[in-house]
Amino acid sequence: MTGVTIDHMVSFSIIIVVFMVSMSSFAQIIGAAITYQQNHEVSMKAAELTNMLLLNPGDPTYWGRSNSIPLAFGLQDSDTGGYSLNALSLSRLSSTQSPVYYNKTGLWYSNNSYGGGALFVPSTNAVNYTTAAKLLGVEGSYAFQLTVTSTLKVSLSELNQNPLSMKVEISGVAGWMGGATLNYFLYYAIPRVGQFPLIQTLSGTAHTDATGSATLEFSTVDGSYYAYSVVVYACVGGLSGVGYRTHDTTTNNRIVPFIEDFENRVVLLAHSWDVQNFPPPVETLRFNATFLSLTPDFRLCEIQMIESDGFVRSGLVNYGVDYDNVRLQIPAQNAGILIVAYNSGDYSGIVAMPWGISTLGFSATFGGEPFQADWVAVEVRQVSINRISYQAKVAVWKTTREYTRYTP
Amino acid sequence: MMRTIEVLLVALILFSAFMITSYFATLPSPRNVSGRNLRELALSTLETLNVNDYLTGTVFRNGSDQSWVSLQDALAASLPPNVVYNLTVYDITTSSGSVTYRLVKSLSNSRNDLGVSSDASSYVVESSDVKFAITPQKIGENTGKNITLYILNCNDAQGWWITGYTAQSLASDLRNLLSPYFGTTILVNTTSQLGQLLNGTALLSERTQDAVIINTFGEAVPIPAGYYTTQGYDSNQGSYARYGHILGQRVNQYNWTWVSIVGYPFFYVTNTVTFPSAQNGWGLYGMQQVGSAGLNAFLRGLDLQSYSYNSQWITGSPGVVQFTWNASYYSNYYGIYPARYQTATRALPTSILSAYNLRVAPNSNIFQVVNNWIAGATFTHRGAGNSIRGSFTAIGLTRTPDIRITALGLLQHYRPAIYKSEMGASGTSRIVVLQLAELGGV
Repeated sequence: MTGVTIDHMVSFSIIIVVFMVSMSSFAQIIGAAITYQQNHEVSMKAAELTNMLLLNPGDPTYWGRSNSIPLAFGLQDSDTGGYSLNALSLSRLSSTQSPVYYNKTGLWYSNNSYGGGALFVPSTNAVNYTTAAKLLGVEGSYAFQLTVTSTLKVSLSELNQNPLSMKVEISGVAGWMGGATLNYFLYYAIPRVGQFPLIQTLSGTAHTDATGSATLEFSTVDGSYYAYSVVVYACVGGLSGVGYRTHDTTTNNRIVPFIEDFENRVVLLAHSWDVQNFPPPVETLRFNATFLSLTPDFRLCEIQMIESDGFVRSGLVNYGVDYDNVRLQIPAQNAGILIVAYNSGDYSGIVAMPWGISTLGFSATFGGEPFQADWVAVEVRQVSINRISYQAKVAVWKTTREYTRYTP
Repeated sequence: MMRTIEVLLVALILFSAFMITSYFATLPSPRNVSGRNLRELALSTLETLNVNDYLTGTVFRNGSDQSWVSLQDALAASLPPNVVYNLTVYDITTSSGSVTYRLVKSLSNSRNDLGVSSDASSYVVESSDVKFAITPQKIGENTGKNITLYILNCNDAQGWWITGYTAQSLASDLRNLLSPYFGTTILVNTTSQLGQLLNGTALLSERTQDAVIINTFGEAVPIPAGYYTTQGYDSNQGSYARYGHILGQRVNQYNWTWVSIVGYPFFYVTNTVTFPSAQNGWGLYGMQQVGSAGLNAFLRGLDLQSYSYNSQWITGSPGVVQFTWNASYYSNYYGIYPARYQTATRALPTSILSAYNLRVAPNSNIFQVVNNWIAGATFTHRGAGNSIRGSFTAIGLTRTPDIRITALGLLQHYRPAIYKSEMGASGTSRIVVLQLAELGGV
């Protein structure tokens, strides 16, 4: 009798151990399969979201040129179709950079600036991530981040200040790009005491050598004295890119352009003192502005503005009243660059604002931050924005609370 | 002891099951969870390379041309570093109905095949030397009759039920759409020119007989001052319905095709100079309401019946109507694509066919007939010897008009041929296939 009991106890113990080991092993397989399924679902959603973002213009299709929030969200350029994005729709996206407050309007502006160029969009007109997620139908379930970066990197650096010469280097993912055709444009401000500055233009064509670099010589320009802005359009093997560089001789007193109205193409010119705090003295700035329209063959064509010069002042007129805001109207619907040159005494500055992000090769990052995400699926597509080559990456991850990685 | 042996046997079975399950339950590789969408990446790469027509320009060049090197550089510059590619160009030739693909050039940064996990997209490019031409046949050309298209564009008249448009903008659009199909297209710019036309006098030196007249003013019809406002007025009824009767007679006399683009035809008459202080009942000045008597009078005039005032409402509302097979076919043939479903609230009844000696012209029904309501068709009037004496194209849809339906209706009625031709050297199309594969990982 005792033997039978021992026999039962031993066998029962063995069966329990075997059962536990087996269940543990099966659980590992099943757990991995569940994780696979969950990740695959995120991956499928990433492909779907990428198509919704890049192959759909939204509704209305011209929402990038209006001040209203779209009824459906998408970034495709409806005029061109395919993998081409609307430069103005991209301009209206809320940036992940810190916003800027302009006390004269009492508004916050999304800081979509990049490099030395300026692009400030009123937060009331910018499409934020929450709105986009709602319109795409993923709010609360999936999160995404869209990054649009130029395929070609066009770097500019000064080789010499007087006379001004610049080095241009073109590179892609695989390295330097030789044999690129460059269309370059130099805009420099000639300061005039008591008057607004003159904007002079020099332009030409050059080619990069086998190492992907070229030198641009401006023998009549003293880069140490003049404020200037150089824009270079590079084309090679079907790809095109933009590089630019600005140089100011002013320090504290600058002009900051803020977009006020997309529909009517109105831009406010603010004094830097009203945007940031600087040490005194504060000075009145006389400005001269011009709008350059980008042509299909990557040339900049000047379009006359209705009012293109005036004063930008900081501080109060009297009795606590601010100086009036200075407004400019972009004279054309198509993409281009607003160049504003300004001077205070012998010092001058120049600021370039793209009308459509691609004209100055701006990048854009829009959406959430995936650093706490459990698993992120990424889709990559090549796109063009106003014929400039870009690469669009869409990262997607799951945000629902019930989603937790299965860990056996 | 026996139980222990049994349990050991159970353990053996369980472990065997586990081993077998593990062997078969192999999870897919991580790459399959979320591999790059290589097909879309390839397609977007080809599209981007061709944005400035560089790809098109290169694939038709000699294989030793420097542009192929630049193309290879561009591929390397735009694709992620761990992606290898194989770009292949094929020439497409057609001979005796069979299509042949001939390898022209292949570029790759991989020494081996890209493997089964690769994916590809293709892109067809056309040489810049090739030209596609479309030559429409002129309506009436095959019968020796040069049919003139008149589009009412009177600057001294107002439109009704063309909300959102002006008659002038509709006239301009119609001219763009239809003038390639007519030998002569003339815009009738004033009501006095319309009067001249009604008198049978050419505005230029065109042929007025058998012409097509499109009334772009919707439910209103321009009325010339003078004879037509006096003779067109029914003083007993205080109505300009008699003008509709005269129009019907003229359509019969000159064998015209009168086209009404929307709503109830001849419901108003309009002349901003003659009726400066009269309004149509809805506050629009320069217009007088005729009502449903206008259409009845027109149909009587077309059938050369004597004038009598009849204000009976004859149109109906079949609601949503659908394209006929013919309309769908000719929509594709002429490349005019209005919506297939429309709302009809002023469709003509089939009873007018017998009442006024009309026929629906063959193939001219734009919309399927619903409960004896014809929402859009061309009615031909049969005169002596069953010959056609005047036609009436009526689009009985609700506002706002889509003039593409008018254009489609007319083309469907006249059916001019379209001659398509391709001019250029042979081998004008090439197909570019970009195959991508990822390196690394498992």
